[in-house]
Amino acid sequence: MTVAEGKLRRGALCVQLEQSWPMPLNGEFSCEAGELLALVGPSGTGKTSMLRCLAGLMTPELGKVEVGEKIWLDTDRGVCLPPQQRHVGMVFQNYALMPHLNALDNVALALLHLPMTERRERASQWLEHVRLSRDQFARRPAQLSGGQQQRVAVARALAREPKLLLLDEPFSAVDQMNRQGLYDLLADLRRELNIPIVLVTHDLVEARHLADSMVLMDNGKVLQQGKPEQIYRSPRNARVADIVGIQNRFQGVWRGPRNAKDQTDNAGWLEWADGNGQPSGVLMRVRDKGRLSVGQPVTWVIHGDGLHLRHEEGNDDSQSGFGDVELMTTVVSRKVLGDITIAQCKVEELFGVSLCLFRSGPQRRILSDGETLSVRVQTEWVHVMPTRAAQD
Amino acid sequence: MDWQALILSLELATITLLVLLPIGLWIGRWLAYTSFKGKALAEATVVLPLVLPPTVLGYYLLVSLGAGSPLGSWVLDAFDIRLTFNFLGLLIASVVFNVPFMVQPIQRAFEAIPANLSEAAAVSGLSGLQTFLRVELPLVWPGLLSAMVLTFVHTLGEFGVVLMVGGSIPGETKTIAVSIYDKVQAFDFASADQMALFLLLMSLLAVAASFFAAARMVKTR
Repeated sequence: MTVAEGKLRRGALCVQLEQSWPMPLNGEFSCEAGELLALVGPSGTGKTSMLRCLAGLMTPELGKVEVGEKIWLDTDRGVCLPPQQRHVGMVFQNYALMPHLNALDNVALALLHLPMTERRERASQWLEHVRLSRDQFARRPAQLSGGQQQRVAVARALAREPKLLLLDEPFSAVDQMNRQGLYDLLADLRRELNIPIVLVTHDLVEARHLADSMVLMDNGKVLQQGKPEQIYRSPRNARVADIVGIQNRFQGVWRGPRNAKDQTDNAGWLEWADGNGQPSGVLMRVRDKGRLSVGQPVTWVIHGDGLHLRHEEGNDDSQSGFGDVELMTTVVSRKVLGDITIAQCKVEELFGVSLCLFRSGPQRRILSDGETLSVRVQTEWVHVMPTRAAQD
Repeated sequence: MDWQALILSLELATITLLVLLPIGLWIGRWLAYTSFKGKALAEATVVLPLVLPPTVLGYYLLVSLGAGSPLGSWVLDAFDIRLTFNFLGLLIASVVFNVPFMVQPIQRAFEAIPANLSEAAAVSGLSGLQTFLRVELPLVWPGLLSAMVLTFVHTLGEFGVVLMVGGSIPGETKTIAVSIYDKVQAFDFASADQMALFLLLMSLLAVAASFFAAARMVKTR
């Protein structure tokens, strides 16, 4: 039984899998009805295998898959429903549309349990629902664009009135221009369907943009599940921070609480390490969750919201919370991505360490090469984790 | 024109086709979808009749099916049926030497089906049989057609094996190809001309049809 099970609402998906061969697969996660969960991780980490286990196309060595009150898989009790009985809608990576059937018949194929006339009527309703224009109903997949094919695939998946919708890299074959429309469609579906939706993607921006909840996978193993902002703000370990590409990630040594006030505040001291991994003498007072031992090497991250430019704050001296640290930095390089400018700023006191700052709008003007900036590190935003925590 | 030989040949080709079609579908699909140790050997065995000299194939069929062989004598004792020098013997030989012509195009056609289509069908609620009938068959149809055409025409034209296993009994085992040979031996070039031209046109048509089918197959992808 998963820990979360008691809290889940009706219709939720609950997964727990374990396998060592032919590829390792390990972990548990859950997804509420009406929630979109993104399975993310580097390619080849078993995201698609995980999805196939949910669809019944693959049976793991050990595991349990429940949707609502229905048990789809329970290896302990020898239960394993075939895909035909699972009532699952799946959109495959390259859509897997039947090349010999037109759009309408592709959808009607999922409705074989209905009489012939009703099948086509329902199929056309579903195609209209995903906003495919009527003149495209009679076209074969080869005559449709990537985005149109995807809509047909979504209509086919929905036609079964599934209890769970699975999407395997659905946007990979659609060009950037057409993605927005499909994102909107997905957002609409999520609202109206009220079933769990699981999306596999390697695109973190997409996952962050679309998902209510993220499951991070690496090497077949589920590393962390949580809301996107939660994962970005407090990754469980260094590997998670690595995978989600947190820019402001640093090394340090945990010094622990120093006095009684630290202990009552649940605070501890973190010593920043320089580019060579040597303790630098720069200390920060941060939140102590009591999981670290004194002298332990740690990896820590800070969210962009916790880095303030003194310059922008004017003369407001009010320091919040824990006792922030102020550093002098110099902009060494810049990247302009559309409306956002990303700057690498060398920290003067710390050899080989640079901060990454993002600014948009008029505020980006300050990020010019060679500019000296005073950065206030708001230590409440610091998240510390053990460096050797791959097994955590 | 030796009408008796032509009709016999058409009968033989039709029955061969009907017998071999389900066998070919089964073997072709199996070879396309499964991988096992020794698959290369199994595939080589399927292709063997294509590369073996017809007389060699005919010789082995004769040796293994003749009344003197264990199989031949057992069938003769048990059912009072001979397996050589009659229409049945010809049919068995014909089925054997057509195996590559039937299996190979079917196997290639099944191999060309994207693997996730049957998974998509299963997720859409289709049973194995429904998937076969509604997804696989329509997709392998051009390959299947070309296999059928090749088998049919190849049976009409086979000479060596037929002569070895069937002899040349008019109305029983004398096919059109054997008849052409006999006419030439008897200096009846007029009849030989007609029959040879008929076979030539049939073959041309068949190859054209299978090319047409192959071209259509590309379009559906």
